[in-house]
Amino acid sequence: MADTHKQWLEKLEAESRAKQELFMNDIAAKLRHPRMYEKPQHPFRGAPDFWKAFEWSEDERVKEFTDNFLSVGGHVARLQTMDEAKQFIVDKAEEMSAKYVVRQNQPELTALDLEGSLTDSQVSVWNTDPEQYWRARAAEADFGIVMADHAVAYTGSVTVLSAENKGRSVSLLPAVLIIIIPIERLKTRLGEVLVTFDEAGRGQLPAGIHFISGPSRSSDIENDLTIGVHGPGIVYALLVG
Amino acid sequence: MKVSLFITCLSDALYPRVGEAMVRLLAKYGVSLQFPTVQTCCGQPAYNSGYWKEARDSAKTILDAFEDSDFVISPSGSCTGMIHHYPKLFEDDPVMLERAKRLQSKAYEFTQFLVQVLGVTDVGAAFPHKVTYHPSCHGSRILGVKDEPLALINNVKGLELVPLPFAEDCCGFGGTFAVKMADISGAMVTEKVDHVLETEAEVLVGLDMACLLNIAGNLRYRNEPVRVMHLAELLYEGVKEA
Amino acid sequence: MSAAHKKVQTVKARADLALNDEFLRKAVRFTTERLRNGKKKATEEHGNWEEWRERGRQIRLHTIAHLDYYLNLFVNNARANGVHVHFANTAEEAVKLTLDIAEHAGAKSVVKSKSMVSEELHLNHALESIGVEAVETDLGEYIIQLAGEMPSHIVIPAIHKNRYQIADLLSKEAGYTLPPDTTALAGFVRKKLREKFLEAEIGMTGCNFAIAETGSMVLFENEGNARMVSTVPKTQITLMGMERIIPSWSDLEVMATLLPRSATGQKLTMYMSGITGPRRPEDADGPDEMHIIIIDNGRSLQLGDPEFQELLNCIRCGACLNACPVYRHIGGHAYGSTYSGPIGAVLTPSLNKNIAEWDDVANASSLCGACYEACPVKIPLHDMLVYLRRRKVESGNGNKLESIGMQGFATIMGNSSRLGGMLRLGKLGQKLVVRSGVIKTKLGPLKGWNTYRVTPSLPKESFRDRWETLDQELKQGLKQMDSSMQNRMEELVRKREQEQKEGKGGHGHG
Repeated sequence: MADTHKQWLEKLEAESRAKQELFMNDIAAKLRHPRMYEKPQHPFRGAPDFWKAFEWSEDERVKEFTDNFLSVGGHVARLQTMDEAKQFIVDKAEEMSAKYVVRQNQPELTALDLEGSLTDSQVSVWNTDPEQYWRARAAEADFGIVMADHAVAYTGSVTVLSAENKGRSVSLLPAVLIIIIPIERLKTRLGEVLVTFDEAGRGQLPAGIHFISGPSRSSDIENDLTIGVHGPGIVYALLVG
Repeated sequence: MKVSLFITCLSDALYPRVGEAMVRLLAKYGVSLQFPTVQTCCGQPAYNSGYWKEARDSAKTILDAFEDSDFVISPSGSCTGMIHHYPKLFEDDPVMLERAKRLQSKAYEFTQFLVQVLGVTDVGAAFPHKVTYHPSCHGSRILGVKDEPLALINNVKGLELVPLPFAEDCCGFGGTFAVKMADISGAMVTEKVDHVLETEAEVLVGLDMACLLNIAGNLRYRNEPVRVMHLAELLYEGVKEA
Repeated sequence: MSAAHKKVQTVKARADLALNDEFLRKAVRFTTERLRNGKKKATEEHGNWEEWRERGRQIRLHTIAHLDYYLNLFVNNARANGVHVHFANTAEEAVKLTLDIAEHAGAKSVVKSKSMVSEELHLNHALESIGVEAVETDLGEYIIQLAGEMPSHIVIPAIHKNRYQIADLLSKEAGYTLPPDTTALAGFVRKKLREKFLEAEIGMTGCNFAIAETGSMVLFENEGNARMVSTVPKTQITLMGMERIIPSWSDLEVMATLLPRSATGQKLTMYMSGITGPRRPEDADGPDEMHIIIIDNGRSLQLGDPEFQELLNCIRCGACLNACPVYRHIGGHAYGSTYSGPIGAVLTPSLNKNIAEWDDVANASSLCGACYEACPVKIPLHDMLVYLRRRKVESGNGNKLESIGMQGFATIMGNSSRLGGMLRLGKLGQKLVVRSGVIKTKLGPLKGWNTYRVTPSLPKESFRDRWETLDQELKQGLKQMDSSMQNRMEELVRKREQEQKEGKGGHGHG
């Protein structure tokens, strides 16, 4: 290659910027208006108003989240304390003979001291060693353990955000996924979570925002439901607090 | 008050008994229908096939026929639905567009007129038979006529209504579609009749003679004795019997 | 599409092949029923569906009407996130860009998640031509890739294959015999594709929605393969139709409400991912380099066209396929292109400028309107099909015989006395063919019709023949109309005239 990778990318960018103008001008011309540079009036932003006013009590949120998560083949445990969550994980690891466990490097998880308690498992903490190929660590793991950033009762979904200490692979590559949801993060509607990304603004968003609503599934073979096609086939949501 | 009958070419030529039943039934309520003979066809076959110039020629006879009517009643949701396309058909001709909009505002399908305008949901009919109902696509989807026929049917004494499986699926008529895509249309009407037979109904009732012509044609082809009736016929026969 | 289908040139002929495939018809019926029942249940449970549909439509209408603003905003934000954005006017340009990126990444293999745009571009062959292996990772897409076919449904691409056919395909890939058991087959694919995810240099995705205000792209999926593709490989390429834009994350709530419910009846797909740029320097996974290729490929032809602009509102849910009684009988391959069903029948000729090769798919519809009723953003597909047929006729490409027939139609129907004359003539003529009150002949123009039906004969008298007698009889005994009915009718006429005077049109009854 004559050019370096960087030069090639710069060349592409120059071409792209030139083409962007033509592309947008063409759209404006076809729409028969002058190029629009001002934000247009948008009278229908987001969900209808009646929906934005809709909110469940905490008990209802727990019940609906649980019903939804169970209905797609996920598992839910309602726990009071993080100690109970720890015990749940320890018991499951033993029950399922988990050899490799990978967890996010979040303070709530560090406080559980899984490394000290899961004596029969090798526990890795995400991105603590720059020499590791972390994707492979997650891929070989039996268990992935994460804290939820948000959860939504109406759709039975959990939201996890990526960061230096929070790998996207941890909720994706292991065979079993365990998600701890502090109860105060469980909202009623999807919109309550989504609006936070609008409020945060572009510069504050992580690379990966993932809503997980149950185990990986497919019905592509004769409509026959299969669980665990690519992502985790077993998912536990632990509602804590 | 001038209330006019838009007979539709199919009922005119093939099913005069449907028009007659409708006229007689409405007469019971003191509605005196007037029949402008210059009307021909709504133009739908040409419109749907893309021949809009030809469709306009045909549509003009309808616009002329009902120019000074206050209400225009037809035994077909599809042909009434076609009138709803007239503003689009004449969008480039301001004078005709105005006339098209006026006609649209006064065009009613038969059950729509009976229920929405006259306020009648019980015609006092008796019809002691097992009946199934096929809701025609254009009547129910373009005009939104869904509840009116059911209200009328449910008030007929002695009538046992059996739900038609996949009732809302098209029977496969689709005008020239039945000729151009004969085998697809054939598969559709065959399935429709399979469902009709599943109900074990003695009578299939509907609101559109085009769909009923299609379904009846397949029933007869298979030598199945299910009687096929327009709702106007059923109601009028039921009134005579009651 | 299978080789057999590809050789067949017309929709009618391809449909005939499908109609003779009993397995296919059963599979399509079963799947579409499952999906449409799922949608019905989900929308009823959710409630206020019409309000949501209208909201979805309004958001899409607004975005497309200001697409130059929103797309430009998206591009600038995506660039600020570190994405390399590219523009492709045509499929060829998009392919060229992709190959260039693949070469510079030194790629030996590309893992792909489901993307209808990629199907439009026929990208896999292009990649293979430069020695890059392209692997579809959605289970259904993987199956049809192994079979060398095209998807036959937007949401369930391998709807037309049974487990035995799938077991054969996968056994060939495995090198040993797999049982025709869903769990075993899916288990093999999981294991096989895991290796592919980990070794591929490039992950390629489609894009369900692109959020203008933050430059993020959103993917809906159930298997987790789209997450794999956008998390594991070093380079990510996203192919995006130029119309995929929505303004904000708040608007995503509306799309997330409409899309999964309309597609499969789910409240949300198992995964919904919003990706905002490549991995941050401190992140330990996610792509190092991210490219988004924005593709026109005929889409902009719809802009500014009042009859077709709404086509760009489509969110690719497949609900119109599941509702369509024609699709139900012929499946997806009969439509002969990437997009099938009612949306395909409109999209294909529109994206291809209605060239002769494609315009006949617009005839594969009875215009029943089930597609419009099912559409979560209310695209009037049944009207668009008529407009396509009109364009064909007006451009002089109508069927010659049909044109003559329609001129005849206009001559007869343009004048009621000619219609009367025709009816008299018909009564004379039918004497040759009527047997016990019906016509069964399969000769001449009634051949197609009479293969499945009999034709009724014309009665002795038409309605117009008997009108005078009937009218006189009824007028004699006519009763007085009930005064409440009379009043209601007068009130309706008054209201209508008032509205027309105020220019409201007043044609919205019913």
